[in-house]
Amino acid sequence: MPDVNITVDGKKLAVPAGTLLIEACKSVGIEVPSFCYYPGLSLQGACRMCLVKIEKMPKLQTACTTVVTEGMVVSTEIDEVRQARKAMLELLLANHPLDCPVCDAGGECELQDMTFSYGAAESKLIDIKNHKDEQQWSPVVYFDRPRCIMCYRCVRICGEGMDVWALGTANRGSAQLIMPNHSDYLECEECGMCIDICPVGALTSGAYRYKTRPWEMKHVGTVCTHCADGCKTTLGVRRSPTGMQIVRGDNRDKSGINGDFLCIKGRYAFDFASHDHRIQQPLIRREGRHVPASYDQAYEHIALRLKEIREQHGGHAIGVIGSTRTSNEESYLLQKFARLLLGTNNIDHHRTADFPSFAGALARKKDATASMRDVFNAPAILLIGNDPTEQHPLLAWQIRNNVRLHRARLYVVNSSPIKLRRQAASFTQIPAGSEPQLAAFLAGDDSAANALASGEITREALAALRDKLRGEPNLIIIFGSELRGSSIDSLVRFGAAISGAKFVCLGDYANSRGAADMGLYPDLLPGYVPVGSGARFHEEWGAPVPTEPGMNLLQMVDAAKAGRLKALYIVGANPVARYNLDPFALSKTFIVAHDMFLTETALLAEVILPAANAYEKSGTFTNTCGDLQLLKKAGDITTVKSDFEMLLRVADRLGFDLRQLVPFRQAERADLGQSRGAQSGEADRHAIWLEAHGLEPKLSPFDPIAMLDEIQRLVPGYDVSRVELLAGNDQHTSIEAGVASSIASQPELILPANDTLFTSGTLGRYSRTLNSVIENPRRAPADKADREVVV
Amino acid sequence: MAVIKDIAAIAKGMSITLKEMFSPTVVENYPDGPGPLKGAKFQERFRGVHVLQRDENGLEKCVACFLCAAACPSNCIYIEAAENTTEQRISGAERYAQVYNIDYNRCIFCGYCVEACPTDAITHGHGFEIASLNATSLVYRKEQMLAPLPAHLGSNAVFNQAETETGTPAVRS
Ligand code: SF4
Ligand code: SF4
Ligand code: SF4
Ligand code: SF4
Ligand code: SF4
Ligand code: FES
Repeated sequence: MPDVNITVDGKKLAVPAGTLLIEACKSVGIEVPSFCYYPGLSLQGACRMCLVKIEKMPKLQTACTTVVTEGMVVSTEIDEVRQARKAMLELLLANHPLDCPVCDAGGECELQDMTFSYGAAESKLIDIKNHKDEQQWSPVVYFDRPRCIMCYRCVRICGEGMDVWALGTANRGSAQLIMPNHSDYLECEECGMCIDICPVGALTSGAYRYKTRPWEMKHVGTVCTHCADGCKTTLGVRRSPTGMQIVRGDNRDKSGINGDFLCIKGRYAFDFASHDHRIQQPLIRREGRHVPASYDQAYEHIALRLKEIREQHGGHAIGVIGSTRTSNEESYLLQKFARLLLGTNNIDHHRTADFPSFAGALARKKDATASMRDVFNAPAILLIGNDPTEQHPLLAWQIRNNVRLHRARLYVVNSSPIKLRRQAASFTQIPAGSEPQLAAFLAGDDSAANALASGEITREALAALRDKLRGEPNLIIIFGSELRGSSIDSLVRFGAAISGAKFVCLGDYANSRGAADMGLYPDLLPGYVPVGSGARFHEEWGAPVPTEPGMNLLQMVDAAKAGRLKALYIVGANPVARYNLDPFALSKTFIVAHDMFLTETALLAEVILPAANAYEKSGTFTNTCGDLQLLKKAGDITTVKSDFEMLLRVADRLGFDLRQLVPFRQAERADLGQSRGAQSGEADRHAIWLEAHGLEPKLSPFDPIAMLDEIQRLVPGYDVSRVELLAGNDQHTSIEAGVASSIASQPELILPANDTLFTSGTLGRYSRTLNSVIENPRRAPADKADREVVV
Repeated sequence: MAVIKDIAAIAKGMSITLKEMFSPTVVENYPDGPGPLKGAKFQERFRGVHVLQRDENGLEKCVACFLCAAACPSNCIYIEAAENTTEQRISGAERYAQVYNIDYNRCIFCGYCVEACPTDAITHGHGFEIASLNATSLVYRKEQMLAPLPAHLGSNAVFNQAETETGTPAVRS
């Protein structure tokens, strides 16, 4: 569009036609105060804070609803405007209580700031203020009517942004107020978006209620540890008797792939970290009971037993199970630990999507995966299977808002009427379980339509859909775990015919993609390299590693039952509950578990090491789209350690040269100060131990960044910009490069998590907030609200 | 001559001494004076150990807004906030200070906290006898600084007025 020339406060500028005046002013650094205007939401014009003088217009105009026109002359700093702002503030404050000292928004309240900047702290009114008691709408949302300035931001974000429409207004004039959908309580997604967007303290959160004040916290931007979408969440931490406690999660840092968005899990489900049941010291089972032990005793015990088993029975008698919530560096280290040190390829994790087949299908295709940001900008999207609203909330947000703001065309094919169909240009319901036939049909196999067509969905309609999709350049194809193995091949073949088509394969849990990329497979090395052809890795690791594929998770359990598997090393996983295993099958096996809680699996372990969670360590996560992001240490419990550190300590006890495991000396610059929370005292602890063992304190093997060096060197697709990554920006990795095209996948091992918005695997059971909202299907009964729910 | 000069000098000196001997004393007879203050006298504005005030209903004035902690240049105020409930009402507003500590190892008695307080909850008392051989005992808790309940609400079990004024903690353990 041609540019329009306008003059603001004497400055001449040219902005694209159609720009809002308020945005035009912002682009040259002129601030026009606003409350109700919010980029990305519909215009409201409710607060009148943005009044400016436009020449030739009789009255002051609202900059947030005025579109620039050629030759417009605007003044924002004249007395008339200043007077108007002051008057507006006075009116907004007419019924506003003097609550700042007790209000949770105090210190980061837009009304406070505006009053401070533009004056009007004193009121001319002598009338008694309208008062209304504060209401609790849900365990998460509190509403204090007198503080509300009726900007409608909450109503719009909940409706337009979230497509929940749980908030509305009632009454008029000074009696007007915001209402929840059930008149005195809310039934919604409990995302807290309305709270975050509220410019004042009218909506506040139950999780953070009266805990502290904004300036008392340190704010750390890290990655959410729940679903696989990788939202950036800003955690507010505060000193506590045991280290640093996380007291708030929000979206202060809007630079993440999630922009304004966070779901209830990213915003409030950090509370598992301070759950009472957290294991805070190593436990060793003696005479059938777990008794506390020192770290030294635990490491010694593990090393002794592992050494014994390795020597007597060989590496194949040891199995390793990794986690979908540990960092990439930890997963990489774990498989290296298994292969190099224990001498076994018996390594697996809880698989929630068929990433190996996906990688195989995309072999040597360039730029074939879409990033989470792409999903917000693509002109067309095809969604097969899954229910992103429940399982991939951020993905759903990206799709929804792409449709709303960019008019993207969304095609949904699903076996149930998922919520996203409301945004879809076309929704096709197919019989449950027939997704593979759909993939085949799309790839050109017309006979597959028999299994799909039923009722309204005729063969013609399916063919029309296929034709339409074929004519959608730059289509993003997103599919759930319903598609596995050769179905993914078919889908990729279909996509190959569309120019610019990209794919997203949906897995569950925060770092399941990372676990797959880092080679937690019995037959695949990092980067989906078959174990038989890992020359590159063997060379770098400087030692031969087993080239025969190992046992997968279920085979390991069978072997344990048969007494062939003597030891099982489990890091942050709960296979007993996930796969519904018989605990007795593992009774003869020596089990080591790194865990936060005494889960069904940890209970079987002989040695339990207390693990830090993703909010308490640094490293990197890869989301389901393949976006690599930096984890920053936020919380801290002084007595627990990261899996990374504990694995290395065990390796050390096994008499292994740590330099071979973590190339901390070959690194360009290993210590970038990222791994140590300045608060934690961790640096000192490390330094002392390192000195004592004759290692260089400055380049620590415990620094995951050193491991990242090796990952970036060896794992195809991970050679992204280090600077960008460390700066906290998401970097898209590509799995296609250098992958062999024939990967034997084992689709039968894939077990989707089937989480909802309010559950999050084993971890979710320990979040009080998640278990307290009424929408949670697994909510604890009221009298048991404080106990964890056993699923 | 020199002798006379010397005698004159001594006489002059002694005359001042004699004059002072018969004028009223200026020095306070602390700590052997009468009363709970043991002879110490204060200017009204003297900034001593803090007192956390109560309102006319005996409720604590502090609403745990953390502004004093933010204003404090030596970072010695530690607060934990909590919510009042109908069963247990501690302060007049929605929230109160569950924990309120001032670390007198670090406090410089500058009065910024008093300036900052929006509810006039924290004030400087006249307590100054806080020297201790044990640094940890210098972290005063809320209970040690809280004003007693007003007389009509019954006496406070832990404190009496004199102790609060002198800043001597009643809770010594
Ligand atoms: S918490 Fe989320 S879904 Fe619920 S009312 Fe607020 S914005 Fe709407
Ligand atoms: S509750 Fe907050 S966001 Fe909603 S209208 Fe009131 S001030 Fe605006
Ligand atoms: S959408 Fe996923 S990554 Fe984002 S906040 Fe929710 S659970 Fe966390
Ligand atoms: S008097 Fe000064 S140093 Fe002492 S607590 Fe108050 S603000 Fe801090
Ligand atoms: S003493 Fe005053 S400034 Fe300090 S927290 Fe209490 S109310 Fe706020
Ligand atoms: S910002 Fe323009 S009317 Fe509210």
